[in-house]
Amino acid sequence: MKQDLDRRTPQEGSWAQKLQGLPWWIIILLLAALWIVYSVVGSEKYRDAFLFLIPGMRLTVVLALISFAISLVFGLLAGLGRVSKSKVYFTLATLYVEVIRGIPLLVQILYVAFVIMPGVVVVLNWFGRVVYATGLTPLLSFGYRMAKLSIQDMDMTVRGVAALAFGYGAYEAEIFRAGIEAISKGQMEAARSLGMSYFQAMRYIILPQAIRVIMPPLGNDFIAMLKDTSLVSALAIRELTQLGKLYRGRTFRTFETWNTVAFLYLSMTLILSLLVRGLEKRLSIDRA
Amino acid sequence: MENPAICEMRGDIIIQAKDVCKSFGHGRIKAVQGVSLDVMRGEVVVIVGPSGSGKSTFLRCINHLESIDSGCMIVDGITLNDEKTNINKIREEVGMVFQHFNLFPHLTVLRNITLAQRVVRGRSSKDAEAIAYDLLEKVGIAEKADAYPAQLSGGQQQRVAIARALAMQPKIMMFDEPTSALDPEMIKEVLDVMLDLAREGMTMIVVSHEMGFARELSDRVVFMDDGRIIEIASPTKLFSNPDHPRIRTFLKKML
Repeated sequence: MKQDLDRRTPQEGSWAQKLQGLPWWIIILLLAALWIVYSVVGSEKYRDAFLFLIPGMRLTVVLALISFAISLVFGLLAGLGRVSKSKVYFTLATLYVEVIRGIPLLVQILYVAFVIMPGVVVVLNWFGRVVYATGLTPLLSFGYRMAKLSIQDMDMTVRGVAALAFGYGAYEAEIFRAGIEAISKGQMEAARSLGMSYFQAMRYIILPQAIRVIMPPLGNDFIAMLKDTSLVSALAIRELTQLGKLYRGRTFRTFETWNTVAFLYLSMTLILSLLVRGLEKRLSIDRA
Repeated sequence: MENPAICEMRGDIIIQAKDVCKSFGHGRIKAVQGVSLDVMRGEVVVIVGPSGSGKSTFLRCINHLESIDSGCMIVDGITLNDEKTNINKIREEVGMVFQHFNLFPHLTVLRNITLAQRVVRGRSSKDAEAIAYDLLEKVGIAEKADAYPAQLSGGQQQRVAIARALAMQPKIMMFDEPTSALDPEMIKEVLDVMLDLAREGMTMIVVSHEMGFARELSDRVVFMDDGRIIEIASPTKLFSNPDHPRIRTFLKKML
């Protein structure tokens, strides 16, 4: 009855209420981090692991940033296609989204690295030979370089970034589409009734508003991208996970290796996750 | 009181609609069924009728926010359903004011009014702003130029919307239930702006439930029901002695 309810809900301003209000999950993680740091400082093995693995974070972050940025370009183009009235544009965009979202990212990475890119090299070779054959002097050296390209010239890192960008673009496309559709029809109508073209309306009215709406989902996708960079370790790119594999292979310290790798990923994703949440709160206050 | 100016101003016909039909959902919902209407330059036409009668849909056919299925729509001498027609050009000349204002929330009032001027008409920022300030004065909210739409009341937002449409200096102004979403105390401020516009000789087509406005300033009132025009008459005739019984029933409910 009433007494039970009163007992479960602590009184206003009491220390019990303040205790309940704290973000316990953050506190626990912070304490765990402190304990880890303490054991690292004490343990020779952990210090060794950390020193070897931390440099891998740099490539992880760089890969995530570049791939995500490029995926946004693919995503915007495909997203516009998904809302387009043009049958051709809509069909192409939908094919891209459905096919790419249907294949596991790891498989896509291997596919791009060992099937697509060699194919691209063959096409560039042919293109180079055609350009060279025209005999036009300013194009000769360009044509020669294209014709002489071999798959070895295609850095694994380039292939990995291409795969990640292309793979994530399909997901960003749906986010862009949702953002555009979230903007009420009346906005487009008002813009068009003033004489603006579809593209002007998109550029000045719809997209600026849509971008605010989709920032939290994009933030979350960036965190996902950060984690998915670990998949390009399949191409022996020396990001964090790959360094983990190397270290473990060399020292057989399985426990220390993977604990440290997991800890380092977590430290990146948790900070970003808090930032995204803060952004979400600020955006919802503005809108209300 | 009829507008005396209309008797002298036998201007040319600026909107010609003939047998316009529009349906939704693969012909299931026949919104507009064979509507024919000619509007003359400088005329004020008010369209009234019950909900779902197709008034708003017909209005939206005039600036091609809805494409017509059949029939003919000629605006300012240009046929709308011709493929070669550049719709955007026509829309520059036909201003529209919406029931829910549709102001651009991420832009200030001033930028709301200058944006289309700059990117559609190609005016310089200075010219566009001068025109914007003029219009803001005219509708009575010059001091709100740097505010955002969210900070304004409904009546103020609608007046900004009217200024935004007028900034393009259109030949025709269309109003789709401009006061239906407003609190009663704000309706007058918007109607006053519309009255001024009408007195200045703007060609206006208004879909509205505001009978007072229709009576005072329209040259003709069009009564629509079920996608068709039932009667077109002068406001005095339509409101006091309409021919069709359907209209009588409607008026009894409204007044």
